[in-house]
Amino acid sequence: MQAPQYDQTRTLYRTLLVFATISVLILVIGLVEFVYFEPPGQTSGAKAHIVGVFDYDPTSHATSGPDESQFPRTQQFAAVVDWSSLPSNLTVDARWYDAFGDVVGHVGPDTPDQLAGHSTVPIVVPTGYHHSLPGRYLFVVERFEGSVPVEVLARRIILVQRT
Amino acid sequence: MAELSPATANPHSRLRPRRYGVAAVVAAVIVLALIASSVLNYVYLDTIPGRASLYGLLAVALITLGTYILVRAFNRDPKTRRRHLIRAAVLIGLGVLLWLLVVDVFVYTQSAGPSVALICTAACLPTTAFGLYVVRRMDRNEKEPWRLVLVAAAWGAIVATSLVIWGESLWEASADRTLVPGPGLDASLAFMAGVLEELAKGSAVVLLYLVMRDDFDDVVDGIVYGAAVGLGFNFMESITYMTNFYSIFSPEGFGTFAAGFQWYARQGLGLFFGHATYTAFIGAGIGIARQLPSVKQKVFAIVGGFLIAIAAHFSWDAWTTFFPIQSNIFGLVEIHLRTLIMTGPFTAALIALLIFGIRYEGQNLREQFRKEALTGRGAILPEDVMILASPWHRLRQRLRAFSRGGFRAYFRLAKLQSAQLDLAMERWHRERKEIESPLEAEEMLRQGVIALRNRVAS
Repeated sequence: MQAPQYDQTRTLYRTLLVFATISVLILVIGLVEFVYFEPPGQTSGAKAHIVGVFDYDPTSHATSGPDESQFPRTQQFAAVVDWSSLPSNLTVDARWYDAFGDVVGHVGPDTPDQLAGHSTVPIVVPTGYHHSLPGRYLFVVERFEGSVPVEVLARRIILVQRT
Repeated sequence: MAELSPATANPHSRLRPRRYGVAAVVAAVIVLALIASSVLNYVYLDTIPGRASLYGLLAVALITLGTYILVRAFNRDPKTRRRHLIRAAVLIGLGVLLWLLVVDVFVYTQSAGPSVALICTAACLPTTAFGLYVVRRMDRNEKEPWRLVLVAAAWGAIVATSLVIWGESLWEASADRTLVPGPGLDASLAFMAGVLEELAKGSAVVLLYLVMRDDFDDVVDGIVYGAAVGLGFNFMESITYMTNFYSIFSPEGFGTFAAGFQWYARQGLGLFFGHATYTAFIGAGIGIARQLPSVKQKVFAIVGGFLIAIAAHFSWDAWTTFFPIQSNIFGLVEIHLRTLIMTGPFTAALIALLIFGIRYEGQNLREQFRKEALTGRGAILPEDVMILASPWHRLRQRLRAFSRGGFRAYFRLAKLQSAQLDLAMERWHRERKEIESPLEAEEMLRQGVIALRNRVAS
């Protein structure tokens, strides 16, 4: 039956401000993470040349047909990179990402000279699956600083159809 | 007597027109965003088949009829004009919601076909309804009207999802073309989801706060409305993910399992942990702002609520990859642990605010019951105070009425208790000088309570 002695809205308000302060910290950590993996001013001036994305035969490891930007899910495909287009002092790799952001094929990281024998970068059908999953696939050639990729030197977006 | 009956607080508040003006600006911005989104959908997305126009005819008809009544309303007697304006607003609102629903259904569910979409919707309806029931029940003292809780959920499901389609599509496309894939890109997309989705959902709570002030009392109400918006958003998002995962994985032979897993993750495990928690924080901020005296504090509270919601949403989207799930039996445990560790602290903080808010509200209502009983006007009697102060005592009193007079007696008493709570709430806000209605409104409430008491007694 005792009346409240003070305005408890203040307590709620202050508690909310404490939570908001922690939230700002979380967002700042997110920003720091973003800047660490996406450091500003990382432009080497180098550009990689992606020859194209072609049908790929996993048994013969050969590409065929014209450069395409869409594939049926039953068709395997691979990107062909001209590593000679890059300066030899860079550390680079090439990766395929599927629609879920998972890496589904890569070569490197290494110098372009060392990767010269790996110009074809195929996608790999995930273990336990019959075909590639549909969706937007991203192919990138990246430059490394230490162990962190810091710059995309070339990219292609490919659509794998549902049917 | 003067101490027991607080003075009239701002009977003709100057804030009223400004508040409605702000609401009109917010609504106008949302309508413009929706129009822009529809145009962009039509021009670029090419995902809305011609059938949408056919199904949208009912929406067009509702809007036409609503517009007709709106135009006619201004030629009517001023006494009846308000009623016609409300009818027009309801019809136009229904038309807009129906149209957005048609657009949403096609944009989000066409990947798996209408029958799968229908099954997914049917699976998500009972869980979302359960969530809304629980959220509404959390307000133990003065439950929010179902119509507003459902409007909040519908906003989350239909308007908020429509608002974010284009913002997210543009952000995603731009990030994919400019950023290095990996944690940096993940962080960028998490910022996108946190900022855009929470702004879209939060605008519903802001509008409720601006327009339905009489039904928006404090932090508890804010949490209820915010969580309802979140549950609505989660409903539509669950259907999207279920249909999308079904269409992706069905050729591999486990489409149903993939859709079912999404259902469990979003409608079971994540029902209260995800969007409901995030947007409830926006509601909490607005609810606290409702009772703060200075504009500066109000702004801080509202911005604070949005920041917490954005941070909670961001942390889940950005850092779930740091908790990889194994594809064995331990994976099942890990999924639950991940949710508990990552969203659990936010949900716990929200529950703390809720419990504190309920206690605070309860204490103040009890104080107002006591003061009203001391006036001797008959709306609340001294012996009512202890009963009204406890939800359990109120329920027991209703059950006793039920055993004596059946459902009729039960509902009559429920109505009386509800009116008594409304009166106490009105007194509380008036005492804190945070109400705009004149003192006559309180007297009308009191007379209403006395009339209900006489009916219960008869």
